[in-house]
Amino acid sequence: MAHAALSVRNLAKEFAVGAGKVVAVDGVSFDVRGGEFFTMLGPSGCGKTTTLRVIAGLEQATRGEITIDGRDFMAVPPQLRNIGMVFQSYALFPHLTIFENVAYGLRLRKLPAGEIDRRVASTLALLQLEPYAARHPSGLSGGQQQRVSIARALVYEPTMLLLDEPLANLDAKLRVMMREEIRALQRRLGITTLYVTHDQEEATAVSDRLAVFDRGRLIQLGTPEEIYARPQTLFVADFIGRANFLPARLVVRGSPSSGVALPNGASLRPERVVRLDGAEAAALPATDDGTVMIRPEHVALDPKEGDIACRVQRMQLLGGLIRYSVRADASPADILVEVTRPLPGIAEGSGAFLRIPAADAVLYHR
Amino acid sequence: MTVRSAPVTGVPRTAELDWAAWMLGIAVVVIALVFLVYPLVNAMLLAFVKNGEDAGGSGLTFANFARFFTAASYQRALWNSVYSGLAATALATVIALPMAYAVARTEIPHRGLISAMTVVPLISPPFIGAYAWIILLGKNGTVTQWLHALTGWTLPTIYGPPGVILALALSYFPYIFLIVQGALAAADPHVEEAARMAGASRARILRTITLPLVFPAIGAAMLIVFIKSIGDFGVPSILGGEFQVLPTLIYYQIHGYFNLNAASAIAMVNVLLTLVAMAALSWIHRHRNFATIGGTSHAAARHSGKSARVFGNVYCWLVILIAILPQLVIALASFARRWPGTMLPESYTLDHYRAVWSQLTSPIANSLVLAGAATALCIVFGTVTAYASARDRLRARWALDLTIMLPFVLPGLVVGVAYLTAFNSGPLVLTGTALIIVLAYFTRRVAFIFRSVATAIGQIDPKLEDASTICGAGWGTTMRCVLVPLAAPAILAGAILVFSTLIGEISATVLLYSAKWKTISIAIYELVLGDQLAQASAIGTITTVMTLFLVLVASRLAGKNMAELFR
Repeated sequence: MAHAALSVRNLAKEFAVGAGKVVAVDGVSFDVRGGEFFTMLGPSGCGKTTTLRVIAGLEQATRGEITIDGRDFMAVPPQLRNIGMVFQSYALFPHLTIFENVAYGLRLRKLPAGEIDRRVASTLALLQLEPYAARHPSGLSGGQQQRVSIARALVYEPTMLLLDEPLANLDAKLRVMMREEIRALQRRLGITTLYVTHDQEEATAVSDRLAVFDRGRLIQLGTPEEIYARPQTLFVADFIGRANFLPARLVVRGSPSSGVALPNGASLRPERVVRLDGAEAAALPATDDGTVMIRPEHVALDPKEGDIACRVQRMQLLGGLIRYSVRADASPADILVEVTRPLPGIAEGSGAFLRIPAADAVLYHR
Repeated sequence: MTVRSAPVTGVPRTAELDWAAWMLGIAVVVIALVFLVYPLVNAMLLAFVKNGEDAGGSGLTFANFARFFTAASYQRALWNSVYSGLAATALATVIALPMAYAVARTEIPHRGLISAMTVVPLISPPFIGAYAWIILLGKNGTVTQWLHALTGWTLPTIYGPPGVILALALSYFPYIFLIVQGALAAADPHVEEAARMAGASRARILRTITLPLVFPAIGAAMLIVFIKSIGDFGVPSILGGEFQVLPTLIYYQIHGYFNLNAASAIAMVNVLLTLVAMAALSWIHRHRNFATIGGTSHAAARHSGKSARVFGNVYCWLVILIAILPQLVIALASFARRWPGTMLPESYTLDHYRAVWSQLTSPIANSLVLAGAATALCIVFGTVTAYASARDRLRARWALDLTIMLPFVLPGLVVGVAYLTAFNSGPLVLTGTALIIVLAYFTRRVAFIFRSVATAIGQIDPKLEDASTICGAGWGTTMRCVLVPLAAPAILAGAILVFSTLIGEISATVLLYSAKWKTISIAIYELVLGDQLAQASAIGTITTVMTLFLVLVASRLAGKNMAELFR
């Protein structure tokens, strides 16, 4: 039961606002395999939370289909869908003890009292919450409250687990710790999980697959590795990880494979070439045919030789990473270079040279 | 949980349809239309119809309103209402403002107690206090005689405008005190601090910054006092003498001539006065739209000088003494065997209480039953509508808010007239029954619960309902297990407030009661008219003490102090 497979087809959700309407979700389709950890990722207002709430049944879809294991889900009222949900604000019942909070769903299912006690106890144990059973939510820390929220969602063995930005209210270190706990729990139970977040690092760290949303549309779906290495749009390239964007003009008009010329004159033949669609293509400056994207860890920085001359503006020490911001004619913005060890001969203010490996560069063109 | 036992039943066993929501929704709409909208609209229509005819007949006419141009008594009543209303408001403002400033901005001790004590005049029905003034300042009044013996000076009669204005002002000034004090306490202190840094003196700051910034609050409070003064029936009927005002005029039109049309017309004029006052207020404030509630954690500076404290103390306690003097006098009178105009009664007795106990158990029981039934109705209706309003579930939310809040601001007499005219004939005849009184009470007070519960629900995270739903609860269960327990303090506080202020309600009751359903307030009223002041005092004291106790309990439950309940 917990390995339910979800299928979403052409889902759309519009809200009436004043005299007009707002399209929150615009024709989204995807499949989630049984037991998969599936994340919907995107900036605020992109429709990921609305999609989740429609799947939960808390909102009515304007159009589209949702099936679970082949059965139509849309006709089922939310209280009968047998899913578990964890909210950003935890939404624990303040007037009930932790025990009663977790037992809530079981009591609604009219289980005998002994059975309820047993299941609640084992779920609390699973999430290391036994000492807090008699307390009220206000007596617990944020991280503990979040675990209670998860316990409440899992105790009645739902077909799916939905999590709506569950870690956003926690501090940074706790967030990293909790996401690993959630991931481990999910692996152990094998429950189909739908996760929503705006934090791309969180998403890439825990998900089996992730779906990037922007303005109500699903832009790209894939594993974290695929999305990082082969982003299909400039938006995705920029949203996941860090990216350098260099303006590019085609060497031979109309022939993307012929290579590009960068603003400083250097030429480059990116191995991967992606065609941009309408909106992003139109947003390119008229003088450019496209943009070359290269990740900071792939750019080579050398004090003496390279294709592009530059000057080092800033050197940031970030724990296990060193980030150089350099200014070059090749790009209007500073180019970021990331290495794990400091480069000899390069300091703030010094001149240097960049080399962009064609194998790691991606050309996005009209 | 690695070994999966027999699967949980998966889906909650009973598929709860949301019929609970539908039923309640329909019931609420029906009640709102029949008992809130219909009476008021009907009364409005009746005002435009000649007496003795019905609305469909010869069409609408202004005949009832014409009396205001032809009959001297009507004109006098209108003028008297305006005059006494304005005078009472002015006097109340003069009394309350220094007190509000003293409590909000000086270091006098027991500020909480002072605020709590100002609630006393609000919860004891004003007309109970009105005849206290007769005891003190009447022809054979204690103070009158004492003053005469001391100075040879005879006080002018308490009956007529002076008495009415004084009693009204002392009954309603707490509204101005509470609201202005609240505004002063909550105002952003940075503006005044900036002025001090620039070198302004304390007096100058008070005159040019502090007072102007709380003008909106003062104006709103004055409006409330004006509306209540022109709608008050009890005080002018006891202390007015020949001084007629619109509410007493309405009363005589009904009890004297049973001319509902004329009564409705007068009520409409009363409402018109209210609207004119509201329009005047918003015109005065048309250029002022500034927010003074800042997000700071510290309050404005307080005067800590000795003179400020002494002054503040003396003034506040003096005002409180005068304000609760009626209640004290009434209590004293209830124990007095004879009080022939000396300072204190000659001798004391419990006879009056014994008489009250044996003869007047019926009105007490009636009041409790009627107030109780109305409160129950308020709770159910008020909570459901508060939920719908707070969760923004309705298209025409403004209509609901208006329907509930409008009867609250109308004078009780107007509501009484509306109910009398609406249910005197036609499809639903309720006059003379208990039901009409209960419904009129409900109409007047449901706004209390509506407001406090809507606020409470607004502070409850809507995700709690989502979480309950996802766990498998239908709407009814979510209400029962999550929302109502969390809103319970607000519901309870509102309910106790409703109940306690309904026990002494007179303005609507006086038009709707029947011989079988006399309430405490009617009993007191009749005793006062029959000059049995001692017994009236006994039952009045019981009422005041009971109400005070209930309000205290309500404030504990709501976690606030008494003063905040009334803001």
